[in-house]
Amino acid sequence: MAKMIQKTTAFERFVHLLMAISGLTLLLTGFGFLYQKELGWLNTIFGGIHLAKEIHNWGGIVFIISLVFSLGTWLPECLKWSAEDSKWLGMLGGYLSRDSEPPPQGKINAGQKLAGLAIFGGGVLLAVSGLIMWLTTPTAGWVLLHTIAFLLYAVLVPLHIYMATAANPGTFRIMTRGDIPLYWAKKKHAKWVREIGAE
Amino acid sequence: MPEANVKEKMSGTDVVKRRKGLMVTPDLCIACRGCQTACKQWNKLPGDTTTNSGVYENPPNLTSNLYNQIHFIEKPRDVGIDWLFVRRACMHCGEAGCIDICPAPGALFRTKEGAVVFDKEKCIGCKLCVSACPFDVPRYDENDKISKCTLCADRISNGLTTACSKGCPTGAITFGSRDELISRARKAGFTVYGEKDLEGLGVMFALKADPGAYNLPKPEYKASIALWDSLIRPLSVIGLGAVAAGALLHYLTVGPKDAGPDDASKKGGE
Repeated sequence: MAKMIQKTTAFERFVHLLMAISGLTLLLTGFGFLYQKELGWLNTIFGGIHLAKEIHNWGGIVFIISLVFSLGTWLPECLKWSAEDSKWLGMLGGYLSRDSEPPPQGKINAGQKLAGLAIFGGGVLLAVSGLIMWLTTPTAGWVLLHTIAFLLYAVLVPLHIYMATAANPGTFRIMTRGDIPLYWAKKKHAKWVREIGAE
Repeated sequence: MPEANVKEKMSGTDVVKRRKGLMVTPDLCIACRGCQTACKQWNKLPGDTTTNSGVYENPPNLTSNLYNQIHFIEKPRDVGIDWLFVRRACMHCGEAGCIDICPAPGALFRTKEGAVVFDKEKCIGCKLCVSACPFDVPRYDENDKISKCTLCADRISNGLTTACSKGCPTGAITFGSRDELISRARKAGFTVYGEKDLEGLGVMFALKADPGAYNLPKPEYKASIALWDSLIRPLSVIGLGAVAAGALLHYLTVGPKDAGPDDASKKGGE
């Protein structure tokens, strides 16, 4: 058995799971509302459109709670930017070829930082516009803003899922168990391994 | 059942030919508010408790129990004032943003006579119709369900006139075939507000002055709703599809970034 190191705490995994479940629920019901004719069956899965609306509203509250804890947990790390991050971004993380190797990355790489910031920004827009649509009589601008932020999530979430599963085997374990093999960590987050002295 | 949540098109359908409507002539209105009462009586709507604000206008705005309101306007003149009375209610737009944006199937739809009507049982209370209305008409009742004028769809589908026009003693509100109402108003020398805008309004105004004088807005489909419908909505599915296709393509060409021990040994071991 390879030597393992811990990348996430139980609390972090809980917060991520909370956001994943609520976020996917909101995304699916959202698609059901937006494409009622083509994707109305999504609402049926959630018990019909009336129940789907309640689930979307209250699921939003769960999402906001997870968003607040996520901000506290990961925003500082997302805001750290170094020369390695710029280099990583310049070669798109080496994802465009089989052989290219990105420079050593910190605890999360440049792509993860940008995705995280987009999730946070979009999440705040969704939360604010969503609460206004639910609790007040909204103007058309809030509806438009909610849909634009939804569009961002409709692209980011599947991208994030692909990158964290099929594109990088072994990553999914960070969300479920939290520990990763040391060789894996050295390869993907060499700078972080050095920083915590786990070599 | 007509479907919401897609850009509804009325032109080219039978509705255009048999479309019914109202012609409102504010200059004939004496502000008796018989229409408000007749509407409440037919639709079994209770009265609202209001407070005296020093004007005759009452209630001061549309409510979930008031589908039809006479709005009082006072415009100062050199001597005295112009006192104008304008009926406020759903305009039954030919191009109805509320129908287009409604996410609940069958909650808002168009009848054969062209009326925009609602089904409270199907309404999910999201209030998007309010955001899409250019005339600030839909209201929500105490159960969070849409409430507004139906052009007395239950009466006109049975050959009756609307309750408000029936209760109007001066002919300020007349009901009939939309085309006839327009030609009659034209013959009488009026300019018709709402003849062509938004594919024609079901409720038109016969005016001799500028619509602005009657606080009537320019009938326009809200730009944000048009953008929502024509761009953002399709983009969300296109974006999702593009990511899925891109991911598949990436997996099959470049392939995953393995970080297994094999990988390390291939490079001579670390």
